[in-house]
Amino acid sequence: MSGQAPGAPRAAHLGGADPFRASDGTVPYLARLREARVRPTPGEAPGDPSALAAAPDLGPPVPEVALEDPQPRDSWFDRVAGLLLDRDEERRLEAAAARLGAGAYDRLGLSMQTCRRTLALFKLLHRYYFRVESSGHAQIPEKGSAILAGNHGGLLPFDAAMAVVDVCLRAESPRLVRTIVERWVGSLPFLNVFYSRVGQVIGTRENFRELLRGQELVLVFPEGVDGIRKRAADRYVLQPFHVGFVEESIRNRAPIVPVAFIGADDQAPILYDVKPLAKLLQLPVFPVTPTFPLLGPLGLLPYPVRYEIEYGEPFRFFEEHPPSVIGNPQAVREMVEQVRGRIQSMVDRRLRARRGRER
Amino acid sequence: MRRVLVSHVDSRLARRLIKALYHDPQVELVLGLGTGPVPGYLKPYRDKCVYQRLDLARPRHVLNLFRSERFLRTRPDSVIHLPPLRDVRRVPGKLPAGVAETRYLLEECKQRAEIERFVHLSSAFVYRAEPGNANVVSEEQVLDFDAVSEIRAWVDADLTCQAELKNPEFRVTILRPPTIVTDAGGVLQSPPLEGPEAPLGFDPMLAVVSERDLARALLLALHGDCPGIYNIAGRQVFPRSVLARALRDSAPRAFPRLFSSAASFAGQTLDLFRGAESGCRRYGFALDTQRARVCLGFEPQYRIEIHGSDGRIDTVALR
Repeated sequence: MSGQAPGAPRAAHLGGADPFRASDGTVPYLARLREARVRPTPGEAPGDPSALAAAPDLGPPVPEVALEDPQPRDSWFDRVAGLLLDRDEERRLEAAAARLGAGAYDRLGLSMQTCRRTLALFKLLHRYYFRVESSGHAQIPEKGSAILAGNHGGLLPFDAAMAVVDVCLRAESPRLVRTIVERWVGSLPFLNVFYSRVGQVIGTRENFRELLRGQELVLVFPEGVDGIRKRAADRYVLQPFHVGFVEESIRNRAPIVPVAFIGADDQAPILYDVKPLAKLLQLPVFPVTPTFPLLGPLGLLPYPVRYEIEYGEPFRFFEEHPPSVIGNPQAVREMVEQVRGRIQSMVDRRLRARRGRER
Repeated sequence: MRRVLVSHVDSRLARRLIKALYHDPQVELVLGLGTGPVPGYLKPYRDKCVYQRLDLARPRHVLNLFRSERFLRTRPDSVIHLPPLRDVRRVPGKLPAGVAETRYLLEECKQRAEIERFVHLSSAFVYRAEPGNANVVSEEQVLDFDAVSEIRAWVDADLTCQAELKNPEFRVTILRPPTIVTDAGGVLQSPPLEGPEAPLGFDPMLAVVSERDLARALLLALHGDCPGIYNIAGRQVFPRSVLARALRDSAPRAFPRLFSSAASFAGQTLDLFRGAESGCRRYGFALDTQRARVCLGFEPQYRIEIHGSDGRIDTVALR
């Protein structure tokens, strides 16, 4: 030990200059040591102050540099996206992405650049292919965490994609919807990367909580795989719901907005599910549709059905029940059935209206 | 005042740590261990730092260290055990295991009453990465016991230290950082960025931490009275492809790389590597650092930036 007082200029062998002082020139080490404190996250207690005081800073801060996207925005993808999106839509996307901050990727893998490119493409599907009609956007909370719970149908999740585009481009306050997807999607090459970059998240409780804690708008299909597995004869009949979304809604005080999708069940009606083949290929379903496997992979593409999306009045179970109700499976099941009943009635009403129009 | 023994001081991270320990008024003396001759960077710090050359993987060397005059003179009361970290860009190939080193060092330290604290730098790649994983994993995540030998060695070293977590007289702290980014734009300890090309169709998100933040976390673990396991990570996550491109752009291209890329592509197409591959090459995750924030007071103070134009990796101060 050199025997010097803490913080005193040391190291005569360095030419009499304290390396920290020499490098930033102004602030002495002790002052910097006092500044080496931790900024607590909002709403969270800071760590042990004595431990923090003992931790010295690790040298002069490196200089701030201008932020730059790691993927340059001059690819032809971006030029095409720029042509497809008008100024208002760009502004809406930027407003929806504002919560991401400076980083190019969020912790769950979302990339705003990929989102922009995808939105430009799916906008065309939303407007010209599926000709989406939507109503009830006022029911979507403008800020804070919320859960969109809808009926699921169709082999490929175009219902989710249309909801994402719809909320981003048509809601009064544009938001980026994060969809919860099945766990097996994570094992699919290319698709897992695409889903991750456009903000879809593998359906684990931890991920769900992470999104709600981050004040995100989360879209769930509580029917799960049963929703896409149902045959044409069972179209628009909601399958039993999983209960996790209600539990997380109460735990995180997030309202549940029921969403009815009309059209998804018609986009690829399943005539038969070849279960042994699905099991062999480790897929949730191996469908036989009017076009698949007859036309090969192209047969999986959805038919150009007209989509209708309706957002219903939110459920706020957390205002009526304490968090301890999560421990009561019967009560949670009743709440889940309320949501399911509401969505089923919205779907039935829309279907009746559509049939009336067709006549 | 602490007297600290630091292993593998010949690594890049150790350089940052030794500098911080040297300027830490709470640290009286540092005994650095390494396998080679005295690292040049230690010379300015010689009034506070002592160096001992030895091979920790040899039990006789470790035993001799604890009986040596140098050790008895310095009498360390804390140990920071760093693995032999290397820059993935410069030293291709596998890292030494380090399980035996950890075990020998831990056993000897346990028997010395004066040594109270043992800080072990593990890795976040000990966690099992699967398609159904949470995207943000906590310290409770299952470890990858089926991993390739290199990662399995980290798991074993981690478990060796975990066995002492409940020892009331010997405080063990385990830090698990993800990919470490140095100030010079290099990357330490990142299996997904080493070896052959990534599997086709997978691009895992990799959490990163600045070497400055990690050195700070080591100091907090040394001074704080919080034994346990902590994830240490910065705020950013990057796809593997972005980090790999940045590293490739800033390093000279080796001619055999063309062959390895072709061989890797063929291997992936034929699914030859599935058995030997670790999940971390396909599935990524960010780290939940809440425990480190609350208990250690760790908060990242640096941000990692990757510049698309020239593939440069920068460490940027957050304040």
